Amino acid sequence: MNLEAFQKIAASNLWGNLLPEIYLVALCLLLLVFEMVFRRQDLLLLFRVALWGQVLLLVLMGLSYFGGFPSGREELFGGLLVQTPLTETMRLFFLFGSLLVSYLGTRFLRARNLARTEFFAITLLVTAALMLLVQSNQFVLLFVALETVTVGFYVLVAYARTSGYSLEAGLKYLIMGALSSGLLLFGIVLLYGVAGSPDLAGAVGDPLHFPSLAQFIAAHPDNTLVLAGSLLVLSGIAFKVGAVPFQIWIPDVYQGAPTPVSAFLAVSSKAAGIIVLLTLVTGPFAALSGWTIPLISTVAVLTILYGNLTALPQRNVKRIMGLSGIAHAGYLLMGVVAAMTVDWAVGAIVFYLFTYLLASFGVFGVMALLSEGQDADQELDHYEDLAKRQPLLAAALTVGLASLAGIPPLGGFIGKLVLFIAAFQAGLYTLLAFSVVGVVLSIYYYFGWVREAVFRVWRSAEGAGSATPALPEPRSLTGLDRTALVGLSVLTLILGVAPFVLTWFLQL
Amino acid sequence: MLSLNAFLLVSGLLFAIGFFGVLLRRNTLVIFMSLELMLNAAILALVAFSRFNGIMDGNLFVFFIITVAAAEIAVGLAIIVALFRKRQTVMVEQLNSLRH
Repeated sequence: MNLEAFQKIAASNLWGNLLPEIYLVALCLLLLVFEMVFRRQDLLLLFRVALWGQVLLLVLMGLSYFGGFPSGREELFGGLLVQTPLTETMRLFFLFGSLLVSYLGTRFLRARNLARTEFFAITLLVTAALMLLVQSNQFVLLFVALETVTVGFYVLVAYARTSGYSLEAGLKYLIMGALSSGLLLFGIVLLYGVAGSPDLAGAVGDPLHFPSLAQFIAAHPDNTLVLAGSLLVLSGIAFKVGAVPFQIWIPDVYQGAPTPVSAFLAVSSKAAGIIVLLTLVTGPFAALSGWTIPLISTVAVLTILYGNLTALPQRNVKRIMGLSGIAHAGYLLMGVVAAMTVDWAVGAIVFYLFTYLLASFGVFGVMALLSEGQDADQELDHYEDLAKRQPLLAAALTVGLASLAGIPPLGGFIGKLVLFIAAFQAGLYTLLAFSVVGVVLSIYYYFGWVREAVFRVWRSAEGAGSATPALPEPRSLTGLDRTALVGLSVLTLILGVAPFVLTWFLQL
Repeated sequence: MLSLNAFLLVSGLLFAIGFFGVLLRRNTLVIFMSLELMLNAAILALVAFSRFNGIMDGNLFVFFIITVAAAEIAVGLAIIVALFRKRQTVMVEQLNSLRH
């Protein structure tokens, strides 16, 4: 490589475009330094630094858009990273998610005698890695970013290390996560080997780079190693998304993990998996659409059916959220298949992810606020008469669950609607039929929960009080709790009724 | 000199041993060793491909994989030790409190 080529690469090292990630990592280090300097685990101080630091970043990013939201496609760092309006929107998504996780984390840590700084530090680090993950355009960066996220989550899931549930969930996530990383890595290695092989015509010089790999795969779509490698890579990603047959870890891990971490996994981790899958099937694996479309469609159908059917008889609310999250991953997979042929389906996926974020954090927020001490065994029975005891929590819960079920006029309804229209345009009729069946099934268990919380007030007198376990007494709500819950519910409603938001997303 | 296929055969074998070890073994520590075997299989294949294809990227990638594997081990063993203190077991069958 001559000097000019190096200069060209050096000119694309625009560190300024990575400021949000750098800021988050700096904030994470600042928190760790704070702990060393002050030598006390003052939760309020840590929380303020973490929360207001992230709010400041959100404001700064918002201010930077006054010059116009980034448009077009920009390759940075010699093709390692690629920035598009989609990745910029996902950055905001992850930042918003980590803000809510930090807030829920404070409620969780306040009641427990656990290390405190690390929770916020790891959350920030994972968020920075998630941002890099959706921008990655090369397999080394993809692998390193993905592993930073996964190893961070191992720690977060097992965070409540005085609880056997949390540790057990951590171990299960560790084994499953490491297994999926192994599959992903071996797939990458096979693709690297075959695409660089000098024996094959059209071998490329940098086979880990997505565009070069796409070029090679387009020339050799039927090569056995290409098939094996891409299948392994897709399996590794499917693990992260929680698609059938790799969904096995989800219910246990969601149940055992601290509630804020379950929310983080359900929303940010799943969203990153879906976006990476989208990048791969429309980028390097675009030439393989002959078998990836039927494969992902089948997986999507199985995922939707599995998630909804297993959630039906559940009584544990965290398992319900985990299993219904599998079903949501199924709808998103349908969106990914649609996006392979219909361009605007990408915007529909991102819009769906935002409605899912708002609704899920609403529900998980209520769960976190209600859980005293052990939070792995919250049953539906604990929600009995919530409307009488805590009207605000019951209202936020109802809005969140109704949005997840897809009831108009909430955001979840519009999200499902645009996703289904995209699938219809792409001609995925069978998949669409299964999705509609899945949505109908989901109304049953979501509203079973709402019924416990709201409508059991009028049950018959002899049924009352019998066999009801001890109810956890909800803590008094602070102003921040009220603001967060009301804010999430109002935003869910706005996404449902304000058409300009949707138009903006569909331009992505 | 050995051919590329010889390296790939060993690597594939290591990967298969690791994969089935994770699925079939009951002891968490053995499962953990099997997981590392899978990563090492990938590293071996990566170095072999890099050598025979004459592209350096693979050799560089190995350093990242080793770092990631070390981080995974550190976190993983910490979780296993904490769990052992709590439950006095590392066998998978006995770690089943998360079932309803």
